[in-house]
Amino acid sequence: MSNFKAMIVAIGLLITPFAALSEIVVVVHPSTGFDSMSADDVSRLFLGKTKKFPNGTAAVPLNQDAGTAARDQFNEQVCKKSASQYKAYWSKLVFTGKGTPPKDAGDSNNVKSLVASNPNMIGYIDGSLVDGSVKVVYTLE
Amino acid sequence: MIQTRLKQSICALALLSCAHPLAQAGDFNFSGFMSIGGGFVDDESAPSYAGYSEEDLTFDNSLLGIQVSSDISDELSATVQLTARSFDGFDVEAEWAYVSWQATDESTVRIGRLRTPFYMYSDYLDVGYAYPWISPPNEVYYLPFNNVNGIDYYTTGTLGSFDTTMQVYFGGFTDTLNQGGMDVEAKTRNQLGFAGTLAKDWWTFRAAYHTAKLSIDLTPVGLPSSISGPASDLNNAVNSQLPPEAQHTLQSPLTIGGFADFLTHLGYNQNTDRMLIQDDTAQFLEVGVNIDTGTFVAAAEHVELRLDDETLFSDNIRQFVMVGVRTGDWLIHLTASKADDDASQISKGVAVTDQVSGTVKQLLDGLAADDPLTRDTVTLGARWDITAGTALKIQYSDVDTEGRAGQKVYAFALQTVF
Repeated sequence: MSNFKAMIVAIGLLITPFAALSEIVVVVHPSTGFDSMSADDVSRLFLGKTKKFPNGTAAVPLNQDAGTAARDQFNEQVCKKSASQYKAYWSKLVFTGKGTPPKDAGDSNNVKSLVASNPNMIGYIDGSLVDGSVKVVYTLE
Repeated sequence: MIQTRLKQSICALALLSCAHPLAQAGDFNFSGFMSIGGGFVDDESAPSYAGYSEEDLTFDNSLLGIQVSSDISDELSATVQLTARSFDGFDVEAEWAYVSWQATDESTVRIGRLRTPFYMYSDYLDVGYAYPWISPPNEVYYLPFNNVNGIDYYTTGTLGSFDTTMQVYFGGFTDTLNQGGMDVEAKTRNQLGFAGTLAKDWWTFRAAYHTAKLSIDLTPVGLPSSISGPASDLNNAVNSQLPPEAQHTLQSPLTIGGFADFLTHLGYNQNTDRMLIQDDTAQFLEVGVNIDTGTFVAAAEHVELRLDDETLFSDNIRQFVMVGVRTGDWLIHLTASKADDDASQISKGVAVTDQVSGTVKQLLDGLAADDPLTRDTVTLGARWDITAGTALKIQYSDVDTEGRAGQKVYAFALQTVF
């Protein structure tokens, strides 16, 4: 019996990191007046094409740090850009004063606690970290 | 000039440092870009192409840029971009220095020194990392002045399912240009322009129109013997018919200014005015399209610079088409670019009735024929994204200029943003 338990725990330990990597969710503050966003809505915010949520309130997108797996996956799937293309896209706007890229805000934990404390913020985090402090508005496939 | 530039940089820096104590966040945002490059040509006796002139590999096509911006208040910010180029001996110049006011979420007013939105790639012309080539096609991106001191209004929006941008500006500039090996003063006044884009999915369409009163002091520019020789013969022939006190002394060596005096002396005032560029209305038109599907990229741009009322400068008609394929970290691209200028008609109005008018017409036509560029260039290039923020580029160009031997140009650059 104890062997069986140990086995379950071991399998759990093995699976968890993969499960955590495979699901990235886009989160906002629980008080926001909407429950879901389309990939296009999210992408427009992170590419600086709009500065407002679909309901008209001001939005502040937060990136995870460059090089994190979550950021690469988010860029590829939501913004449809590789890390290099994303960088090139923003360099077209930064050097003209026509835009400022989302701030790099650390990892999933950092982003989660920032979003949890500010109704204007939006970020993407590891799905396994979701609790009552944030609201999921979009789940990456 | 260097002093003016320096002064401008210092003013801008002073502005920034003054702004700093007032800033709520007190944050300075630093960003920068760098291009380290060089190349070689197959025949160095030919005129240099896009700054590449030697048969030996040189590393002297480099550029460094630093941009600092700071928020003065929630809506106001100040930005300075300083660049240093190897061909200028790395003299530091303020390309941009402006204060911007975020009027609404969708619109900004900027005042100061701005990049003139002539072209599709104007805004980030110096930031090679942002586009496929080492620098955009030389035939189209040939204007020697890229900035304007003035004010602009920039707004973003949507039109149906298209994202739109619109920029309107007013201003002018004074700069030194190299013309025929001489530094000459150039200025625009009442420069007014707009640029708009429509974008959807993979597509971006752009159009721009600019107009200005342009003056370029060409008088110190020397003339070739094909003009100065016949002009001197003509002067001697005319003088031989005149009493000594009415004779004209032709300047030697002859410059455009001396030639203009001679034309006026002969009574061709209208053609003198026509030839020189003094408060002439210039118009610049651009249309462009950019496509990026992620795998397939393409771009095309057509520009026309027209000087009303004829001047020594030709009307410039330039275009390029680029197609490319992105695979993994590589982008392979092929570009065809073309210059097909219209020679100006500065001899307009000269009625050929005798030897003198015949020669004057010939000389004016000869001068006008010297300027237009007819050129076809094919460029094959590759961009390798080493990491996010750094790309290595190599490029081969086959340049075919009317009236000259063909030229081959090999170039490379390592370009970064940080």
